[in-house]
Amino acid sequence: MAPFEKPKHPKPFKQRKSFALRKQEVAGIRTKFPTKVPVIIERYHREKYLPPLDKTKFLVPQELTMTQFVTIIRNRMTLMPSQAFYLLIDNTGIASMSLTLAQVYSDHKDEDGFLYMTYASQEMFGLRENATEFSLR
Amino acid sequence: MNSVSPSAAQYVGGVALHDDLTDGRRPPSSSAQLLEPRGHFGHGLLTHCDTEASGEPDEVDRLKLKIMSAWNNVKYGWSVKTKTVFNKTSPLFLMGQPYLLNSADEVECFRLAFGSRLWFTYRKEFPQLEGSSLNSDCGWGCMLRSGQMLLAQGLLLHTLPLGWSWSDCPLLADVDFEVLRPASPSRPAGLSFPSLSSSWGPTALHRRSEGPRRTQTAHDLQSEALHRQLVSWFGDQPAAPFGVHRLVELGRESGKRAGDWYGPSLVAHILCKAVNRSTEVDNLAVYVAQDCTVYKEDVMRLCDQSLLDSGSSEWRSVIILVPVRLGGECLNPAYTECVKKILRLQCCIGIIGGKPKHSLFFIGFQDEQLLYLDPHYCQPVVDVTRRNFSLESFHCNSPRKMNFSRMDPSCTVGFYAHNKKDFESLCSTVSAALSSTEERYPIFTFVEGRGQDCSVGNQSAGNADPFTHIVSPGKLGQNSKKGSTEEFVFL
Repeated sequence: MAPFEKPKHPKPFKQRKSFALRKQEVAGIRTKFPTKVPVIIERYHREKYLPPLDKTKFLVPQELTMTQFVTIIRNRMTLMPSQAFYLLIDNTGIASMSLTLAQVYSDHKDEDGFLYMTYASQEMFGLRENATEFSLR
Repeated sequence: MNSVSPSAAQYVGGVALHDDLTDGRRPPSSSAQLLEPRGHFGHGLLTHCDTEASGEPDEVDRLKLKIMSAWNNVKYGWSVKTKTVFNKTSPLFLMGQPYLLNSADEVECFRLAFGSRLWFTYRKEFPQLEGSSLNSDCGWGCMLRSGQMLLAQGLLLHTLPLGWSWSDCPLLADVDFEVLRPASPSRPAGLSFPSLSSSWGPTALHRRSEGPRRTQTAHDLQSEALHRQLVSWFGDQPAAPFGVHRLVELGRESGKRAGDWYGPSLVAHILCKAVNRSTEVDNLAVYVAQDCTVYKEDVMRLCDQSLLDSGSSEWRSVIILVPVRLGGECLNPAYTECVKKILRLQCCIGIIGGKPKHSLFFIGFQDEQLLYLDPHYCQPVVDVTRRNFSLESFHCNSPRKMNFSRMDPSCTVGFYAHNKKDFESLCSTVSAALSSTEERYPIFTFVEGRGQDCSVGNQSAGNADPFTHIVSPGKLGQNSKKGSTEEFVFL
């Protein structure tokens, strides 16, 4: 997987598909795989450091913990262990890493039946790119 | 209403007093330059400086320097603002210690505690950073400076006696303690005018009148030496184990260069490397949590020296750093209570983070406001290799606050445990603080066992890509219609 290639779908998943279609899709996959959780993972829209994922739709065994899930995604992106990586639920909160996907799903699934997650690293802090011109003379 | 610090006159008075009581330890010629970096560009200061420092540049040059310095610091984000108000009704937490500022004595205790914290800011004219032409970190190094302050707080706890405070602790400036406001109703509150409430220190407190002259004990002298040594480790020169030069060098391994911006997580890893590499610090380990999880056995393996071949039965002290992201665009308000709970703990050594693009070191809070130390103040370099170098510019005299709502969600929380018992109580008190908030999910967790046991890496042995198969929509039946090339990835 070539990192930093242009994401195929710059538009968020929710905007690409109608509510009815998404709901239908979940219903179909849930009847077929009742022990798996349908998860949408998208890049945080302001993310600058993490590569885009080549896929957005995942079917995750419900007994998987968040820790295990994060590890899989990290491997998928070939991130260094020291690289900051966070999965935000509904774009705001981080789920406790010891929870299983089933727990997170039951608490946070969207009306359409998908569980939405955003991945982000951390912001960097600074004011200007360089300060070479700075001098007191 | 920029810049003129109402407290400049008192401040100079205070310095004179300090000089006096430290028995000439500080060379008199340096006192004028000492004054400059403190965030005061007041007129009063200027005249005092001149009388004190004959042989310095003439008045016009000094004035020019002051204006330039003021301008540069505005440019680099040091907000020249009005006084920070501290009410007398809500406890102010500073490094896990509560201060109810309803008496002069309590204000004095707060002054000592605040002024004793180490403050690292932008510096200019230091030796060029390797691989670049930069000899200043103004405008880019704020996150590294916040990281230095966090590490310094850990090192203060590690090396200095419990409850240590610096006897030359600065007078506070730009502060308004509600309890110290004059009772007279004729003067509107908040008027910028020299008053007890805008500058607070020993001169204004009778109890100190006999205090300063006491002779320093051997114990004090030893603490002073340790304090000085600790500051020198953060000096802006290549040999300093925690100086900007070393931190930038260690950041290079993560693809960062001098002049780049840094994040709280990256800085945590840089600090860890810096401590591991240093020969100066004994008996201290640094643990950086990954994925918001502290694996207790991993920490214990770092600390327990008896597990090593060294034969030592020592338990090393540990600084635990937990990089987190508390929201997307802004701090998720659900986490505010949790951050407060953490800042109440004595084992917490602060949080590095900031407002967007503007790194700060959070050291406490009062009500809905965080108390912080701000690195965005450009000071001339201090040569820490010189004997009796000035410590003044490494301590801040202006406590500042900001609302929780402005806090950037990216941050790293720091903790310190001196021994095994401390570590165990840290695990339980922090866990309790994390889980007691209304927010259902703690922002990070302590887990028994080791990190490698909990990842899926070794379970899917031999399978480099854990993504076993991808199901195309076609196989799933007619529910997923054409027009979508997206497939579910099966885990």
